Amino acid sequence: MKCIIEGNGIKVFGKAVHALSRIGEEIWLDPLEEGLAVRTVNSSQSAYACFFFTPLFFQKYIPDPDTRKDSDAVKCKLNIKCVLPLFRCVAWRERSVDRCEITITIPDSRVIFQFHCKHGITKTHNLGYQECEALQAVFPAHLCPNVLKAQSKLLGDIVVHFPISQEEVTLSISSYKVALKTFYEEEDGCIKGMNTELMLHPDEFDYFQVGEDSAVTFCLKELRGLLSFAESYGLPISCQFGIAGQPVSFTVKDMTLEAHVVLSTLTDPNHESQSQPAPEDDCPVKIPKTSTVEVSTSEDPMEADVCIAEVSTSEGPMEADVSIADGERVVSSQGSEVFNPSLHMRKMIQLHAPAEILPRPTFVPESALTTPITPATFKIRSLLFGAVLSDGGAGNTADLPSLVCGSDTEEDGGSQETQERARAATAASRTPTRFNITFNAILTLHTRGLLATETFNAFPSCGL
Amino acid sequence: MKFRAKIIDVGCLNHFTRVVNTVSKLSKACVLRLTCDHLFFVLSGKVASGGVSMWCELAQVNFFDEFQLEGVSADANEIFLELAPENLSRALKTAQNARSVKIKLTKKNCPCLTLAAELPSLSGVSRVVTHDIPVDVIPRRLWHDFREPQMPDYDVSIYLPPLKTMKSVVDRMKNLSNYLVMEANLNGEMNLKIETDLVSVTTHFKELGNPPWGEDGSQSTSASHRDSEFMAQTRLDIRKLQQFLTGQQVNPSRAMCNIVHNRILHLIFLHEDVSLQYFIPAVV
Repeated sequence: MKCIIEGNGIKVFGKAVHALSRIGEEIWLDPLEEGLAVRTVNSSQSAYACFFFTPLFFQKYIPDPDTRKDSDAVKCKLNIKCVLPLFRCVAWRERSVDRCEITITIPDSRVIFQFHCKHGITKTHNLGYQECEALQAVFPAHLCPNVLKAQSKLLGDIVVHFPISQEEVTLSISSYKVALKTFYEEEDGCIKGMNTELMLHPDEFDYFQVGEDSAVTFCLKELRGLLSFAESYGLPISCQFGIAGQPVSFTVKDMTLEAHVVLSTLTDPNHESQSQPAPEDDCPVKIPKTSTVEVSTSEDPMEADVCIAEVSTSEGPMEADVSIADGERVVSSQGSEVFNPSLHMRKMIQLHAPAEILPRPTFVPESALTTPITPATFKIRSLLFGAVLSDGGAGNTADLPSLVCGSDTEEDGGSQETQERARAATAASRTPTRFNITFNAILTLHTRGLLATETFNAFPSCGL
Repeated sequence: MKFRAKIIDVGCLNHFTRVVNTVSKLSKACVLRLTCDHLFFVLSGKVASGGVSMWCELAQVNFFDEFQLEGVSADANEIFLELAPENLSRALKTAQNARSVKIKLTKKNCPCLTLAAELPSLSGVSRVVTHDIPVDVIPRRLWHDFREPQMPDYDVSIYLPPLKTMKSVVDRMKNLSNYLVMEANLNGEMNLKIETDLVSVTTHFKELGNPPWGEDGSQSTSASHRDSEFMAQTRLDIRKLQQFLTGQQVNPSRAMCNIVHNRILHLIFLHEDVSLQYFIPAVV
């Protein structure tokens, strides 16, 4: 991959790297045909961010200059501590740097950042990278019943009331108000620190849609990076979420770039104890209210890892029934068009080289059941992350996004359980599960939102 | 026990915030004493706070538009709350452009001082931000710990030099030594001295003026006979003095101190509607 960023773009790219550094320790560079995706995930895999730069952003963008191997551009990851200092000195950068060239050279395994500055000075930084799977989140933002869109200044004004050290906040929505308040784990009685709550009227938002009254708790710290990015450029931010347990996604869009942050939310222990986890194979299943996400980034492209994903359903009037064995129909809670996953799957595959679909493991209902949650424990169920298998080397297989096991329950022994679950699932028959295709299709279609927006017109502002 | 108060005026809100900021810089925890006419931020000189004590008095009528208090009982119509002033400071910080700020005592799992600020918003309905600050109600039997301190039987009373100058001198001296000697006499002269094995530094201030306490009876009679050249001195932990000087957010209209030779330094800062007294014990 080779790209050239000019002048102002360097500042934007630097800010993007800063925003990503608030979340994770490493950044994944994924040069796609449609643009450069720079992504990160945090260590507990409960927060994911992606900055996608279209070719318009760059003075020049060549995803795969190396046509020798007829392979796709290499995907790599870098330690963010190496990249961040390159974009640190804002004042110097603005004054002296004319352009920045970023090149990924495969033979040396190096990402080269070259800053061409005034007075003929060139600063070249060679960073070693680790080749890896691309990282992508599987999150059907269009299925979210609740959508808020606001100017970044409004969100900035809102979060300023919360101390920087405040980790978790709860965003609650109902038809007449939106509230954001600090979240503390319940201890006996007394609150330790200060509790802050801010209430806003729906009119303050540019776009307000409440499909279902809910309250989601997520980590505010990880969002601050995106908020300050959006505030610097005065871009509006849209927020999509559902009920507690479902991830919340924040999106910033511009002509030349798109930024997403997806955060997991705490599940509501009250609801969980009520739901009966007993999905059956053949009929539409009501899955318990947790969105367990198994995530992984497998280093081995050939290993077809297990996709286990659940969706939470609510017991309220708006339900998203997901049928597993039968019907490939997902009735969205908003009554939008029912979409046909396999149709999209085919379309998606046509985008890539014609190939066979790798068999996917069956969705094993039992294994997908969440670990028993006691009312006393809160668990952050992390998101669905997909490792998009690259076409590299083998070339022909249109590898589907796969979610690898590594559930992030905070419970001890959680990882062991999920490993066992994964093994069980892998051992199961490898027929494609439509359930997974559903999500995977949505995921992979995200890149320019092309197909997604064609179909899901009901949510023009949604879409990851 | 009930307490409700409301601030509407932006100027009053800013001023109150500055006072709270000053108090928060001086101590991590203090006692807020509420009476019908006044608010007091009190720090009693316990070992835990290094022996410093503080008394900050505000007349509520200068700040609050509404102020209702129902104390512990009819004959003790006061409330004593222990809180972290930093929380209060933080809550006020982002409410500086509020239309109104209401403070009241509530009980949410534990007693709290709830601050509700009505902020201007883009829509017709104001944004309301609520902060719950956990507090501890101090029982009546402990109230005697938090009485107004008596003016000590000082040896010298003198106005302080300009705070900015004094602060920069103390800052520099802090790099050289942990202890500072402050001495002054009734001739308006003050010295700040540090002495180490390698170096000793003295800063002299002249013509500072001495407050005319004498006639109102608060000064001990023996002081008037004292030699006006006599330098009453106290040896202090320099960090405590520095902390006090750094925390000041507003220039006081009057700044003075009383020195009890080798015992205590009593600093008094007066603003129009706020008075702040700070006691730093002398170190042997």
